[in-house]
Amino acid sequence: MTTNTYIAGKGWLYRFDPRAKLLLMILMCIWFFLPVSLLHLGIVVTLVVLVGSSNTGWHHAWRTFCSISPMLLFMVLFMPFNVREGVPLITIGRFILITNEGLEQALRLMSRFIGITYVCTLLFATTVMHEVMLALRWYHLPYKASLVVTLAFTYIPFIADSFSQITESHRLREAEDEQKKKVGHRLKDLVPTLTSALVVALRSIPNLAMSLEMRGFGREEKRTSFHRLDAYHHVFIHFVLSCIIPIVFWLVSMLF
Amino acid sequence: MNNALSIENLSFTYQSWTEKQNEPLFSGLFLHIPTGSKTLLLAPFNKGKTTLAKIICGVCPKYFPGELQGAIQVYGKFLSDLDPWDLLPVCTYVSQNPQEQFVATSVEEEIAFPLESMGMDKKTMDDRIEEAIVAWGLQDLRTSSEQELSGGERKRVLLATMQAIDATFWLLDEAFDDLDQHWRDQLKHLIATKDKTVLVLASRYLGEFDDLFDQVLLLDEGVVASGEGSSLIPRFAHLCGDDLPSPLETDFVQPSQTRVLSCQSLQAERRRVSTAESEHFTLEVPHFQLQSGELVTLVGPNGSGKSSFSRLLCGLDVPLSGQITVDENSYSGKQLSKRVGYLFQSPDLQIFLPTVAEELSWSLKRRSDLSRAEIDKRVIACAELFSLDLEDTPTTMSYPLRKALQAAVYYLLDRPFYILDELDSALTYQSALSIIAHLRRNGAGILLITHDRQFADKVAQRSYTIKEGRLIAV
Amino acid sequence: MQGNRNALKVAMVSVLTAVVVVFTMVVRIPTARGYLNLCDVAICFIAFTFGPWSAFIAAGLGTALADLISGYAQWAPISFVVHGLEGLLVALIVQKKGDIAVSLGRKALAAVVCIATVSLGYFALSALFITTVSVSAAEIPGNIAQSAVGFALGLVVSAAVKRAYPPVSSLAW
Repeated sequence: MTTNTYIAGKGWLYRFDPRAKLLLMILMCIWFFLPVSLLHLGIVVTLVVLVGSSNTGWHHAWRTFCSISPMLLFMVLFMPFNVREGVPLITIGRFILITNEGLEQALRLMSRFIGITYVCTLLFATTVMHEVMLALRWYHLPYKASLVVTLAFTYIPFIADSFSQITESHRLREAEDEQKKKVGHRLKDLVPTLTSALVVALRSIPNLAMSLEMRGFGREEKRTSFHRLDAYHHVFIHFVLSCIIPIVFWLVSMLF
Repeated sequence: MNNALSIENLSFTYQSWTEKQNEPLFSGLFLHIPTGSKTLLLAPFNKGKTTLAKIICGVCPKYFPGELQGAIQVYGKFLSDLDPWDLLPVCTYVSQNPQEQFVATSVEEEIAFPLESMGMDKKTMDDRIEEAIVAWGLQDLRTSSEQELSGGERKRVLLATMQAIDATFWLLDEAFDDLDQHWRDQLKHLIATKDKTVLVLASRYLGEFDDLFDQVLLLDEGVVASGEGSSLIPRFAHLCGDDLPSPLETDFVQPSQTRVLSCQSLQAERRRVSTAESEHFTLEVPHFQLQSGELVTLVGPNGSGKSSFSRLLCGLDVPLSGQITVDENSYSGKQLSKRVGYLFQSPDLQIFLPTVAEELSWSLKRRSDLSRAEIDKRVIACAELFSLDLEDTPTTMSYPLRKALQAAVYYLLDRPFYILDELDSALTYQSALSIIAHLRRNGAGILLITHDRQFADKVAQRSYTIKEGRLIAV
Repeated sequence: MQGNRNALKVAMVSVLTAVVVVFTMVVRIPTARGYLNLCDVAICFIAFTFGPWSAFIAAGLGTALADLISGYAQWAPISFVVHGLEGLLVALIVQKKGDIAVSLGRKALAAVVCIATVSLGYFALSALFITTVSVSAAEIPGNIAQSAVGFALGLVVSAAVKRAYPPVSSLAW
């Protein structure tokens, strides 16, 4: 199992300071909820998708779209239930299927959904995880919290790997004349697999605690940091940009 | 103070999780390690070697509950006044099982973590990390995660971390295990030349140890014995049961029908853990055969493709081309899994249930042709053969017993062929051999996978090896 | 020397978080919201075994990270709140006082709360922030099914783990 969300690249988003990028992400997510016209919303979403795909590549953009496509489909299918009042757009006999207002609302929600998805995905596709953590630390996330996240990332592949080996070993233990089983039986068989995966995970807890202390977790000195965000230049400008971009979008949508 | 470590009258007993009390692991143990000395402490498997190391590091009984008595001093300070993290600049422990020591997501960060804890400035930290990475040949693995590394690479990361911390006392648990000759030589050189106090714990006497140490000690019956190497080493061999007759010499039933597992011109994608080499890995098996009653070994270094081959043979992976046959019938997937038993290296991944009795009867209960009484009879007989207690809880049993339970489960499945993956990795040769002897009682054909040539030579009738992705007979 | 167990807490929460992530990602049945999964099994197990705080952090963080890794970053905050709350509430309800076993009534209450938190939590938050009311409403049955199965399995699994690995009792805090 891979825990990697980072897509290697060289675009401007990659050179953008992670702290400022985090701020930009949050401001953009808020922006999508502002009362702007559908047209402006659509333009901004298109811009986000375009900027994103030029940074991370079209392949990644397409994959992101695929991952949310079932949701979008649902939104389309459920459109008739959203808004019942307004100017009828499509009718079957005397039954109003879709109204103008309903369509507009659906499009708005879908645009917003696409926008939020791409903004969030882009942050993690263009920033290495330890830099996200450093940025969060800069925003005063306690060290212990960031350590928990890092350690969880260290242990995810280990537990996933144990899990798949346990499933395989279960398969290897089947009796010779065993036949295909019903769903209830399969669920029952899942219990020992889950149990032993949990036991393997739990056994590693004291070992991890031990190793943390052996590597100096708990010492009184102030921890220094191997990774730093020094490599990013013009941090102030990035922060200003992070604030200006959403404001400009908003002003433009107000004026035109 | 001229002792780096001194242990006076140490007793330790692990907390028991069942009704029955645990035997004391140490009783009245004394150990003195002079500053600057290089010591080898030999101990048979499962006799408290690792526990002793954890006690010295102050994490046992803290995280591994038990009853501890006695006084331990590290450079004149009582361990009871120290916390484990106080020992960071003093003592570095390299675990026998590298996986449990990893705390960071990449090799670089792993080496950096303890240095960050010590509050080291960026410049010194960078220099030390760079030096350690180059010294242990990890340049290509800087950003690899622990899961992508092979066993040998993991060990090198731990050794690099040890070198970067630069503590005065090194505590190495089976440090030479998993390392290729080149790195073994390097570690030897490091121990011999650096001005450190070194304590190496080992369960097998290796050629590497000759002339490396000032003193050799033996952990026997919960106390440390000292003496001349010439008298201690035979005594150690006796403790490991190496002078007992080989259990393999017992008779086994030759089945009425000789069954043959074979594969012809097999091609497969090879699972490569490390990302260091980007080339495309394939495994090629021109010809392989295993017959009922045979004991065949597959020897090769870590990461050469031994496990990939095992996974093909028992039907967990599908070959790119070629076929695997049992008695001339071609099988794949589940059908193969029901004919070839595969014992993973780690027994814990194959043990599921709360008691030995449930574990052993699990597969039998799923067979339609066995009565309740028959199942009980078989389970009891099997437990006796493997010296298991039916009421025991598998997860809290000792490693050799868990390994025996894993084998017992397969013994009851009565497969015609077994693959044993690194059976000898934490067992004495004697207990490994008796597991093999039990499994072949009914005439099963056995493929033993190991990287220990010494062990392979001891048992094998025939042998295979993997060279440059090709499986060949030796 | 034995007093400070900070490392154990960190280690435990980290490993449990990883467990939640793996249980969420290993078995998946695709649905509109993404997928049905086993995260509730892990969450209920943690709630039964390790108490409210571990359950809150591991459940919330674990499901949020799983969302993030599988490219559903937009759901991460919602998952954090909903599942974190689920873990916290279940753990508070079944929390043991002394050695008295948890009564059937409290287990049933925990089950109801668990199912209600997940289905209503997702409904409310996703209707509010991400999708439409009708789409969110359509997911309620799936969420109910998932959390109900998860709760039942979680109950069975925690009993099994306690029996299979007795030292688990020394880890709880």
